Amino acid sequence: MSFIEVENVSKTFKVSKRSAGIPGMIANMFVPKFEKKEAVRDISLSIEKGEMVGFIGPNGAGKSTTIKMLSGILCPDNGTINVNGYVPYKQRKDYVAGIGVVFGQKSQLQWDLPVIDSFELLRAIYRIPDDLYKKNLDRFVEMLDMGGFINQPVRQLSLGQRMRSDIVAALLHSPQIVFFDEPTIGVDIIGKETIRKFIKELNEQDDVTMLFTTHDMQDIEQTCKRIIIIDKGKIMYDGSLAEIRSKYGTTRQLIAEMNQDMEVASIKDIIIEKQDNRKYSFTFDNQVVDVNRLMHTILDTYNVKDVTVNEPEIESIIQKMYNGEV
Amino acid sequence: MGLTPYLAFAKKSFLSKSAYRLDHWMGILNTMIRLFIFVEIYKSLYGTREAVDGITMTMVTTNFILSLCLESFFAVDDFYLSSRINNGSIATEMLLPVSFHGRMLATNLGTAVFKLIFHFIPALLLAIFFIGMEAPAGAGNFVLFILSAILGYGVLWSISFMFQMLSFWLINVWAIMTIKNVFINVLSGSMIPLWFMPKWMSGVINFTPFASIYFSPVQIYLGNIGAAEIGMCFVKQIVWILVLMIIGKLLWIKGQKKMVVQGG
Repeated sequence: MSFIEVENVSKTFKVSKRSAGIPGMIANMFVPKFEKKEAVRDISLSIEKGEMVGFIGPNGAGKSTTIKMLSGILCPDNGTINVNGYVPYKQRKDYVAGIGVVFGQKSQLQWDLPVIDSFELLRAIYRIPDDLYKKNLDRFVEMLDMGGFINQPVRQLSLGQRMRSDIVAALLHSPQIVFFDEPTIGVDIIGKETIRKFIKELNEQDDVTMLFTTHDMQDIEQTCKRIIIIDKGKIMYDGSLAEIRSKYGTTRQLIAEMNQDMEVASIKDIIIEKQDNRKYSFTFDNQVVDVNRLMHTILDTYNVKDVTVNEPEIESIIQKMYNGEV
Repeated sequence: MGLTPYLAFAKKSFLSKSAYRLDHWMGILNTMIRLFIFVEIYKSLYGTREAVDGITMTMVTTNFILSLCLESFFAVDDFYLSSRINNGSIATEMLLPVSFHGRMLATNLGTAVFKLIFHFIPALLLAIFFIGMEAPAGAGNFVLFILSAILGYGVLWSISFMFQMLSFWLINVWAIMTIKNVFINVLSGSMIPLWFMPKWMSGVINFTPFASIYFSPVQIYLGNIGAAEIGMCFVKQIVWILVLMIIGKLLWIKGQKKMVVQGG
C-alpha cells in the first residue's frame, strides 16, 4: 500500500440558500432552505513516500476540502483515507503529531505574542526534544531569513513574514508529511521565491512527503514533478508535470516597457515584437529560455520602466481539458 | 510528561488574563455590587426577625458571599468552541496533537487560577471585612467544602461543555448559553438561596445538576447537613459530571462528522 492512500472519497456540505434582501431573509427565518454542495466527488489517489505533489485547481475546486480530510480535520462522507497506517479522522490525535499543515489563509501563530513565543508553545505541545527543536529552529530561521523579525509580535508582521513563520511553525516537530494549502497566497514575488526554494530543499534533503495546493502555476512548475488537477470536486488529471506542460504549451510572453524610445537587439531563441516605440514583447519557450536570465539581460541592457510576464493560467488549462485538447 | 502541553495552555491563558487590568478591577467591583444588593434585599426582607424557617440572616449572607465569590473564579468560556467554528480557526486547533477537551479545560483552568488569586481572594476578604460572614462549621467541613467546590466547578464546566457541542449544528449558540446561564443563576442558589424555594421546586431542583454547583459546597461549609447527606452531595456531583461529559462526548463525536470549516 502507498504512503498516502485515498479511495473513492466524497464530501458534501449543506449550504444555506436564500434569496436576496429582506424578503429572502424573512422567508429563510421560517422555512430555511438548504442545498447540497458536493465539494469532493469520488476522489482516489495514492502518493508514495518522499513524493512532492502539486494539487491545483481553481477556487472552490475541492482542494482545501481534500487537504482538510487528509489532515484529519474533516471526516469524509464516503470512502477511505489511509496515511502512513493511520485513518486521519479516527486517530486524529496520534496522527497529527506526525504531520505538518500550513494553511495560507489561517495562521496558527499567537496574534499578540512574538513569533518565537508561538514556537515555544508548539515545542511544548509537540513535546519536541530540546536538541531537535534548536537544530530545526536554527536551520529554518536561516533558510527563510527570519532573524530580523522572530522577536516581533505576529500582528506587526507583513503577510510574507507571517507566512514564513507559519511554515516554520508547521515544521518544527520534523513531520514526515506536510500539507501546504496555498502557502504563497498574497505573498510578493520575492517572498514566493523564498518559500518555493525552501519547500523544494526540504523535500530533497529530508525526504518529506508533500502535498501542495495552489492556483499559481509558477509554484508548481518550480517545485513539483507530479501534479493533480482538480475541478468541481473531481480529478481531471493525475500525472507528471512534464507531460502536461508539453501538452498545454510552454510559451511565455514577457512585456517590457522602456523609459525612452529605443530599438532592441535580437536575442537567441526569442521572438521580439515591437508593440509601440517603448513597448516590446519577448515571446519564448520557457523550457529553452530561463525567465530569470532573460529578465536580467533585459534589465541590465535597457532602461526599463516596467516588466510583466504572461503565462497560461490554470483556468485556461482546465478549459482546454474540457475541450478535449489535452 | 503527558501534561506538558496542557500546562503550557494553562500558563498562556493565565498570563494573557493579566493583560486586561481594568476589566479585572471592574470584575471585582461587579461581584461586590451584586453582593451588596443581594444582602441589602434580604436584610429588609428579614426586618427584625432572627430566623426564617430556621435560616438566620448570617447564613443567607454567607451563602451569597460564598456562591458569588466562587462564581467569580469559576471561569468557563461558553463560546470556546463556537467562536472557533465561527471564524474557522477550529481547523488549526484540530491540527494540534492534543485532546480538544483537554485543551479547553486547561485554558479555562489557567483563567480560573488567575481569578482565584486575583479576584476570588480579594473579593472574599473585602466581603468578610465589610459585610461579615459565618466561620466554617469545623475544620473537616472546610476541607470538604473545598473538595465540593472543586467538583462544583466540574459540574458547571460539564454543563457548558455539553451545550457548547451544539455549536456544530447551530454555530451561533449565544441564545442557548444565555438561557442556560439564567437557569444556573436562578436554580443554583447564587441568586435565591435554595432554602427559600417552595417544597415542590426544591424537589425538582434536586433532580438537576444546578444545586451541585454552589449550593452543595455552601451547605457543607455551614454544617447544615449531616455526614450521609454530605456523601450524597459528592455522589451527585460526580454522577452529574460523568453523565454530562458522556453526553457531551457523544455530541462531539457526532458533531465532528458534521463540522464545517468556515472561510476557505
